[in-house]
Amino acid sequence: MTKKKKTKQDSVSGSWKTLAPKSSRRPASKAAFRKRLLGAGKFLILIAVLTGVGGVFWFFQNRSQSDLGPIDLTGPGAPVSSLSFNSDGVLHKRWFANWFGPLRGRSLMELDIEKIQSELVKEPQISFARVSRKFPATLKIELRERKPVLRICLRSKSKGEQTWLVSNDGSLYTGTCYSNASISHLPFLNIKSHLLKRNSAGDGYQKLEGIPAVAPLLELARSEYPGFYQNWQIVSYQRPYDDDPGAHIHIKSAKVRSLRFSPRNYDAQLRRLKYLLYEPDFRRTKVVDSIDLSHEQSVFAKLTPS
Amino acid sequence: MSKIIGAVEIGTSKAKALIGEVGESESLNVVGMASRPNEGMRKGEIVDFRKAAAAVHSALEDAEKMSGTTVDEVYLAQTGSHLKGQMLRGAASVASSDSRVDVSDIQRAADEAKRRQPDQGRTYVHHVRTPILLDGRIVQDPVGMIGSKIDLGYWSIDGEDQAIKQALHVISNYSLEVKDLILSSIASSTMMAGPDLRRAGTLVIDMGAGVTDFALYRQGFVVCTGVVPVGGDHVTGDLSMGLRVLEPYAEKLKLEHGKAIPDPMDEGEDVWIIGNKTIGDRAIPRKAITDVIHVRIVELFEIISKELEGLLDPDELKGGILLTGGASLLPGVEQIAGKVLGFSARRASFTSGIAPELAQPENATVLGLLHYGLEDNSLPGRKKEETEGGFIGKFRKMVGLGAQI
Repeated sequence: MTKKKKTKQDSVSGSWKTLAPKSSRRPASKAAFRKRLLGAGKFLILIAVLTGVGGVFWFFQNRSQSDLGPIDLTGPGAPVSSLSFNSDGVLHKRWFANWFGPLRGRSLMELDIEKIQSELVKEPQISFARVSRKFPATLKIELRERKPVLRICLRSKSKGEQTWLVSNDGSLYTGTCYSNASISHLPFLNIKSHLLKRNSAGDGYQKLEGIPAVAPLLELARSEYPGFYQNWQIVSYQRPYDDDPGAHIHIKSAKVRSLRFSPRNYDAQLRRLKYLLYEPDFRRTKVVDSIDLSHEQSVFAKLTPS
Repeated sequence: MSKIIGAVEIGTSKAKALIGEVGESESLNVVGMASRPNEGMRKGEIVDFRKAAAAVHSALEDAEKMSGTTVDEVYLAQTGSHLKGQMLRGAASVASSDSRVDVSDIQRAADEAKRRQPDQGRTYVHHVRTPILLDGRIVQDPVGMIGSKIDLGYWSIDGEDQAIKQALHVISNYSLEVKDLILSSIASSTMMAGPDLRRAGTLVIDMGAGVTDFALYRQGFVVCTGVVPVGGDHVTGDLSMGLRVLEPYAEKLKLEHGKAIPDPMDEGEDVWIIGNKTIGDRAIPRKAITDVIHVRIVELFEIISKELEGLLDPDELKGGILLTGGASLLPGVEQIAGKVLGFSARRASFTSGIAPELAQPENATVLGLLHYGLEDNSLPGRKKEETEGGFIGKFRKMVGLGAQI
């Protein structure tokens, strides 16, 4: 780029360039008028083009700033018209509608199914969840629920006394959609308070250790020996692991005030209990004081003196 | 990238505009040319601004249309009897300790030469550099040579402020800027006399309608220029008065039957003024036409001879006399020039490569403007000044950055 310098020629002597008019007078001919009109037109077109370019730039910049989400290549899709809900427990479609909120007006592609799935799994009653889209307009929910084997009464300052359910893996939850009939037959759990530990969120409890060892006994009794099970009222346990010689499960029932099991071979222990309770002496006795089934070869029973 | 340049000649009979495209190899391609009759001039000076402006602007508009582009700056030819030339000389001592000539030494000599101010109401139009002398010897480029004194001269032409302003206003009124003012005779010489002829020494006479310009070259440099306020229109006027015919018919007689030198073959031949032999038409002896023209042409060359008195040295004018311009088309002009000035004279011819419709003597000045503009006439060691074109150049000028005129 060459910058024209003021030469000494101009400064030393009177140059014709000093006579050049500073501004043009009004056009002296039609041709000059047309030239100026054309120049003004070009200038206006330039301004319009620059304004247009600036406008387009501004429009796209604004648009990109307001839409920071992922680019939707699929379009909004059709609104959700039906819900396919399947659970192996007590939760039902209406529960999901209450839990999620209204689906009406929301399109299938707008729903963040990954988030719905992770939120469902956070529910303590649900052990597994799968959420999927079934095109063109169906949201499909598949759930697997925890099975309660015990119940426990806990008292808190804010909510007072509440009945919690204990699932076969030791999880504690308050339970939703259960009928009274379905949980009224569950025996109560009696454990020492130090075994109950709050979870990190502070709104529940950590899984109880030992329940996975106790649960098979309760499930076997409920399915194979419902006559005994229906009388079981309170269950407690100590170190219920089969490698611990001192481990035992203690159950209070209406017929037998104290039943003691070891955490091994529940089927044999229950068969011995059945055999024992069908003995004439036991049948005649209304209440048995205690039966200890935790020994492999022997059963110790104590009858209540009549 | 090619560059568009323009040239304008505001002639007494016609205004001419030329647009040229300069390629990367400095080759010039004429892309637009137009001329319009000009009724606003007398003897090379504007007497009616509006008419002169209308003619120039129309020619520029037509040339721009023909070329399909527009120009921002033009080279403008200057002529007129108000222009006077004088030789300005300057000298400077070589400043460096090793006596080697530097660019600044030449510049100081040039500044010294141009120090003299023109008279009140007059302005320099054109400075044409003469040879550089280093300790009395002519050198082409003294930069780097050893010497003690630089002498430098300029043939400087000044003119009346008002006449120059009028011409500049005509151009600025069309929203153009004047890149440079160039003397018409120098422009014509650049076109018609090549570097070899100029080195050999030549006198170029451009016979226009209102004025006749001349430039004398020696050793490739201008020695003298001048403007004689006599041209083809004066011949027409003489015919009109001498033969008592209206000017249009006198112009017709000049073009169709005019000769500058008497021809014995014309004895007894009559020509009709109008040509249709109707009422008012009459026959005139052809010899009478020739006699009237001859007297005026002889007078013209005598004036030139008087102005160049003492400068016409046969040893320095080996290239002879070159005639150009519209009035040089009169048969016999070259014989009279040779006879009056005492040197061989001939009608100048264009170099090859110029389209036949452009290669006409009346176009010598406007074509020469572009060629002179392309030449590097700056001092040795200094680069040719270039103005910035295009949108950026316009913008810089608009906001006052860069170029200052």
